[in-house]
Amino acid sequence: MKVSMNWLKEMVDIGDDYKLLETKFNLMSQEVESLYKLIDIDNLVIGHVKTCDKHPEADKLSVTTVDVGDEVLQIICGAPNIAEGQKVIVSKVGACLPGDFKIKKSKIRGIESNGMICSLEELGIKEFDSEETGIYVLGDDAETGQDPLKYLHLDDYVLDLDLTANRSDLLSMEGVAYDVACMLDKEYKPVQHQYETRREENTIKVFTDTKDCLAYYGQVIDNVKLGQSPYWLKSRLIAAGIRPISNVVDITNYVMLQYGQPLHAFDYDKIRTDRILVRHAKEDETLITLDGQTRKLLASDIVITDGKYPIALAGVMGGKETEVGEGTTKILLESAFFDPLCVRKTSKRLDLKSESSSRFEKGIDPGKIKKAMDFASELFIKLAGGEVVGEYSFFDTTQKEPSAVVLSLERLNQVTGREFTVGEVKSILKRLNFDNHVSGSDVFRIDVPTRRQNMFGYQDIIEEIVRISGYDKIPLTIPATPTFGYLTKTQQLRRTVRNYFVNNGFNETISYSLVNETQAIEFDQEKLSIVEIMNPLNKEKSILRHSLIPSLLDILQYNKSRKISDVFLFEIGRSYREEKEVEYLSGLITGVYQSNLWQGKKEIADFYLLKGIIEGMLLRLHIENYRIVKAEKPLSMMHPGMVADVFIGEEYLGYLGKLHPQKEMDMNLDKTFIFEFNFEILSSAYNDDLVMVEIPKFPSVSRDLAIIVDKDLTAEKIIDEVKLAGKKTLKNVEIFDIYSGQGIASDKKSIALSLTLQNVEKTLETKEVDTVVERIIKQLENTINAKLR
Amino acid sequence: MEKKLNKLIEDMLSRLDGISNLNDLNLLKAEYLGKKSVFNDLMQELKEVPKEEKPRFGQMINEAKNRISDFLEEKKTALEKQLVANKLKDESIDVTLPGRKMNQGSKHLISQVIEEVEDIFLGLGYTVKEGPEVESDLYNFEMLNLPKDHPARDMQDSLYISEERLLRTHTSPVQVRSLLENTNQEPLKIICPGKVYRKDDDDQTHSHQFTQIEALVVDGKASLADLKGTLLFIAKKLFGDEREIRLRPSFFPFTEPSVEVDVSCYKCGGAGCSMCGNTGWIEILGAGMVNNNVLSAAGYDPEKFQGFALGMGVERIAILKYGIDDIRAFYTNDLRFNKQFRGK
Repeated sequence: MKVSMNWLKEMVDIGDDYKLLETKFNLMSQEVESLYKLIDIDNLVIGHVKTCDKHPEADKLSVTTVDVGDEVLQIICGAPNIAEGQKVIVSKVGACLPGDFKIKKSKIRGIESNGMICSLEELGIKEFDSEETGIYVLGDDAETGQDPLKYLHLDDYVLDLDLTANRSDLLSMEGVAYDVACMLDKEYKPVQHQYETRREENTIKVFTDTKDCLAYYGQVIDNVKLGQSPYWLKSRLIAAGIRPISNVVDITNYVMLQYGQPLHAFDYDKIRTDRILVRHAKEDETLITLDGQTRKLLASDIVITDGKYPIALAGVMGGKETEVGEGTTKILLESAFFDPLCVRKTSKRLDLKSESSSRFEKGIDPGKIKKAMDFASELFIKLAGGEVVGEYSFFDTTQKEPSAVVLSLERLNQVTGREFTVGEVKSILKRLNFDNHVSGSDVFRIDVPTRRQNMFGYQDIIEEIVRISGYDKIPLTIPATPTFGYLTKTQQLRRTVRNYFVNNGFNETISYSLVNETQAIEFDQEKLSIVEIMNPLNKEKSILRHSLIPSLLDILQYNKSRKISDVFLFEIGRSYREEKEVEYLSGLITGVYQSNLWQGKKEIADFYLLKGIIEGMLLRLHIENYRIVKAEKPLSMMHPGMVADVFIGEEYLGYLGKLHPQKEMDMNLDKTFIFEFNFEILSSAYNDDLVMVEIPKFPSVSRDLAIIVDKDLTAEKIIDEVKLAGKKTLKNVEIFDIYSGQGIASDKKSIALSLTLQNVEKTLETKEVDTVVERIIKQLENTINAKLR
Repeated sequence: MEKKLNKLIEDMLSRLDGISNLNDLNLLKAEYLGKKSVFNDLMQELKEVPKEEKPRFGQMINEAKNRISDFLEEKKTALEKQLVANKLKDESIDVTLPGRKMNQGSKHLISQVIEEVEDIFLGLGYTVKEGPEVESDLYNFEMLNLPKDHPARDMQDSLYISEERLLRTHTSPVQVRSLLENTNQEPLKIICPGKVYRKDDDDQTHSHQFTQIEALVVDGKASLADLKGTLLFIAKKLFGDEREIRLRPSFFPFTEPSVEVDVSCYKCGGAGCSMCGNTGWIEILGAGMVNNNVLSAAGYDPEKFQGFALGMGVERIAILKYGIDDIRAFYTNDLRFNKQFRGK
């Protein structure tokens, strides 16, 4: 809502300190978007054209002398309509017009020019008079040397309020006046409107058959002379951000701004009957609206009809057929109350949001329906030469009584945490103009006036009292109820995992959950239901992702194209299915992990680096019963020879491996290794229930073993067998060398194992060690056909 | 005997001179002092010496043995010193050559802010609650005093899955769920961090996905003053101990009264600068007293229960704290951005 200060001043004594008013609004009412001068141009003055001669060197230019009060200026003017004797707007040297156009002393074709005679367009207010051609000529009553903005009533300031949905009362100047009066502790006195009527029968009757139109007033006004509105009216509309059109339209808009009641004027002679019927539209009925569009109507729309056909979309837009325009002399003025929901649905569906519809949607004041019509009638007589024809026709079943709300002082103090007194509350309610009386010692019964449509219960009253008395008066305490703050195991784990990866040089990412159709399912291991947005922003963000990997690959590609090629990423985020959301831990690695180039050291991301990092994480979480095995059914996006499944116990945690070379090529990526785990399974396996294990007192013994086995035998199989035979005494087994080539048959490989043996109860003797190692060798010979090298 | 011993020592000393490493020294030591050393022979000889001479000769042998031992020890020390000196000489390096390059890990800035805010609230006795991002219209709107077709729904354009399901537009449905789960209606103090979605085209100041943290307190007496005190505490923790706050009236359907919370500008201290648009204040979050309709919808008697809620945009907090000028930076994950913020 753009509030004209000149207009507001007429209603409430606000003084001249608009800055103060801005602050008051911000702290007590609504946020001020901005406070600005309507036309912010200095050095404008009303000039009287004394002489006007053709420029000797240019046909289209005139040389004028203009009296600007304290001096007479020679100004060159290019407008065809310039003439001697005119009162004009002069931008003196030093003025700065919109578009950073500075007026300077200049010579035009050899003749000096000391300023500029302006059009409204050059001042940035073309809409003030759409019929303007060339310079703008003021009336003869304009006083030479005075401020033309003042003459045009454009010397105004505007306070632009950013209204919240609960303050539809501030969609009217009167509502603003009430609020300002309350904030400044001044008074606002509403005015009554009076006008003469022609003593004859009203020629039109209004009816309805729907409860979605609670009130309708129809007033016929005859002998209307269509024309331009006076300056003051135009200026106020411009200040409010509404374009002046003609006196008839301008009056309806002006009254709407004053009282928040939208009005509509029909060309009476174009209505084919003498009755107005408000009803719901019939399915497939059509109406050509003011903008020339043919609108297909639905039963949920309310329409104004001539008894048979729709002539306007109630509260949203008038019909083309009955539009006021050239030749209109008689109008039907409508002031009505339409159901907010119906108007909202219609305006939303047809994408027709207007000053009128937005007011109906938010709830208008039933107390202003008739008053607005009266005010408009008064203005039609004054400004358009109209004559009001008899009594208006109407029906009105709106609730006009204030609604009563009960609030006890005790409750107020309990909710606010502040000690109000009865006297204090009474004085605030008085400022608010809310009638009330106190029963018992401290129970207020408050009448909420109809202009405050969005107040429902005592909490709303509390809000009013607090904002007017000041939020700065509320004390500072904290809740007294004792409660315990803690993170759940899963929440704690998220932090632990994040820290683990960060400490290992990974960068955490957070990416969009919405992806395109391909990305959503690209890394699915099984067929999963997809969750699709019904009204997506665009195709690229239309489906909720199943896997985080496509997003991570996009991020990788983005960074790679910016010459960042060593990338180690992880993300914790959700995978979305029809029936549930599953949290994932995913990541990727590519490029150099650690290096020292002058030493010739460089560790490049590979499968085993990733595997080590993942195993490190599992150990960090005290998860020991995991297995990493060759993937049985690798994803098509993965390199089939370099992908492993991870299990914890019997549960499938996820996979790690290398991206398929084809995919790498398609995305122009280097060797990229990825992982994706089910974070919830990780979380349930996370073991934070630890008991100290005794540190062995007796020394351990190491033995190395080299065996020759079939080439395709997995390390896991060998280690399993070693562990089986090593029993309790075997503490650890590690592979420290793999060799194939010279000296080894081509279908074989040599594996070197390092065994660590230990007895927790005593020092191991050589004989015992030999026995265990013998047993291991035998086991390997028997089960996997190993030969000692 | 005496001569023999002197000769022995002389021989040993001359051999000792020729030794230049610890290994040779150990061999020499074994020869003279080991199990099969010359002294063994001497001890054999001692058996044949007349009884009265035995102590004297014995003493002479021992003295010789000790002297040899001392010489050896002396030599060992000298050799070790030499060794260390050589090491110092050989091992000196150019310490200005670069060290091993380690990848610099980083937590995402959004995670950092969430953890920071969580920690503040954990200290105040709040627990952290989470909920689904695909929500029902019922939890996301209706139970929060936002009935269907309510104009206030225009404040939050939504992405719908179906008529009844949508991507949550705020984390408030987690509050609803927490209220409902709290079947004994115990005092509730929770915060709800998480992803939320709006139907907004991405630009410098808008993101269709962003992150919220909301807090909710419902008990018999949590007041507006308690809210204000809590807000001041949070503002100080997030933006510095010198910060002040001010509340301005606002509107959210789920709270009444509702307020916007400003923090005094941490750049100019409240004097007014470009950061705060010359007002001295910066808007950081919204809050209010829980609307009775929300309590009733969740089965709490508004006559017995009251409380407050507050909600902040995580990105907004980070934007303000770190001077970030484009909200998209959080989701682009340009590593040159991410790596700047390595966390606490």
